[in-house]
Amino acid sequence: MSAQQSKILVYAEDERLMRQLLTKARQAQTGNVGLALVGDEIEQADFGSWGADTVYMVQNSLLGSFNPETYADALTSVVEQAEPDLVLIGGTKQGLELSSRVAERLNMGIASWCVDFEIDAERKQITAKCMIYSGIGQETYRLKTRPAMATVDSDVFEQQSFPDIQAERIEVDADIHDPRLEVLEEKGKMAAGERLIDAQVIVDVGQGFEEKEDLALAEELAQLLGGQVSCTRPIASERDWLPEWIGLSGAQLSPQLCFTIGVSGAIQHMIGIRDSDLIVAVNKDEHAGVHLQADYGVVADLYEFLPALIEVMKERSIRLAE
Amino acid sequence: MKIVACIKHSLDVSEIKVDEETEDIKLAGVPKSLGEIDENVLEAAVSLQETYGGEVHGLSYGSPDAKDAFRDALAMGLEDVTLVEAAADEQNDPAVTALVLAEAIKTMGDVDLVICGELSDDGLTYQVPPRLAERLDLPQLSFVRQIEIDDGWAVAERELESGSQKVRAQLPALITVTQETNTPRRPTLMEAMQAKKKPVHLWDVAEDVGLTRDDLESRAYLERTDSKGIVIHRKRVKMEGSDKRALANQLVDRLIEEGVLEGEV
Repeated sequence: MSAQQSKILVYAEDERLMRQLLTKARQAQTGNVGLALVGDEIEQADFGSWGADTVYMVQNSLLGSFNPETYADALTSVVEQAEPDLVLIGGTKQGLELSSRVAERLNMGIASWCVDFEIDAERKQITAKCMIYSGIGQETYRLKTRPAMATVDSDVFEQQSFPDIQAERIEVDADIHDPRLEVLEEKGKMAAGERLIDAQVIVDVGQGFEEKEDLALAEELAQLLGGQVSCTRPIASERDWLPEWIGLSGAQLSPQLCFTIGVSGAIQHMIGIRDSDLIVAVNKDEHAGVHLQADYGVVADLYEFLPALIEVMKERSIRLAE
Repeated sequence: MKIVACIKHSLDVSEIKVDEETEDIKLAGVPKSLGEIDENVLEAAVSLQETYGGEVHGLSYGSPDAKDAFRDALAMGLEDVTLVEAAADEQNDPAVTALVLAEAIKTMGDVDLVICGELSDDGLTYQVPPRLAERLDLPQLSFVRQIEIDDGWAVAERELESGSQKVRAQLPALITVTQETNTPRRPTLMEAMQAKKKPVHLWDVAEDVGLTRDDLESRAYLERTDSKGIVIHRKRVKMEGSDKRALANQLVDRLIEEGVLEGEV
């Protein structure tokens, strides 16, 4: 391999995000793209077609349930063996925790909330563009450490397939210590955002909805257009009306049409819908910040407006345009 | 039990505006206060202290103008707050913050539990708590929903995207809380009055924490080369009217014109 090449290593706990990062790493066209796989029983797949030239596998019985300590041991070993210039980590809670631990051990800088990066292989310079203040702005950083790290959220990059690539597999003999954190029990749930990510219409609800039953209005509107209902963090986390929220700490969606209803417009939430093609806000407060972030801001009480809208849409046989 | 609550004098991100022409991020005049997540940190710390005994000390790294904001923290039940002073011109890498906090905690000595927020209100990187746990060589229980201490062990329910875990680790340990962990208490007037007598210790990075300027600069791993605001281009058409059916028809007309819906015109 020539001296002008730079290596990128990818780690993400879920396949979708892993493939998005691998695709972006390939598009950077800097050299070898590595994939780190960590677990007690690693499922095999055609990792080459996902974009990996080299797969570094750490299999160990201590890597069953996610444990930040054992996983950090494993990933540290992979980074040491692969010697990448840049490590791309899927910015899930696990990924954020793991990346910082590994970075601290290996004296690496981390570009958090990275949305793009450039590697100048010749000058060995890496710059990363990152979201700051929950998406109000973007900063570009020069990463001074080698290796350096960047954490990337879901759906920042798009995945592609690379049918011609054959991945080389390398078993990494990692030094994994008995962890001090013990996982006593584990309960699974559906991965965040899965049901929402492909929806072309989103009906997004906030604290303007007073009772859980009232969500039926949002459900009906969504159903008319073949869409899905999403919500703000308090609706899911405090009121427990829906299983997941969208926004900075949840999924970020980009439907054709988004109705955001009874939502104030806080940036931490709006980042979840601001890539929609068209946004309609319904909020009875004409000064609500959400109206400034929408294409159409309907100043009306949702309890009066939604039934009227549903009725009108039914009468006029309204559907999503083909 | 000696608990250290890590808190931050944070920008109110909802008040940050972007100049639509220059794309500059306008930080001048944006208010700073104790972060909202820090109230969850303090609530967790103080309620553990109330249940299991001991003392809670606040710790922060930032500019000295934070001093007054920590009165609210003291009113929630802390013994004191130690503010390690950061130079005003510093471009703070989370790795620097973690180093300073780690050395300060070592100086405080015999700490059983360190509590941090999942993300600061304005930095939002989630780098500091895991880096701090590594530096202090502590087990970390992160994103906890519930936390209790059982015979020298911290036992917690924690929430991840893929599900939840029940975890435990022997003290000393570091935990991170989320905004769902608890509901922060509102101090009474009496507590607010008493807080005025509690100390905010100002520590110098070199003299009190033992770190040189080189120590800090060598961990400034990122160099900012550009910064700009994101300008949201939306049509911002306001629609109102007392006849809700008429309003609904207008909206549907608009969405048909936009080409996103179709149906009877």
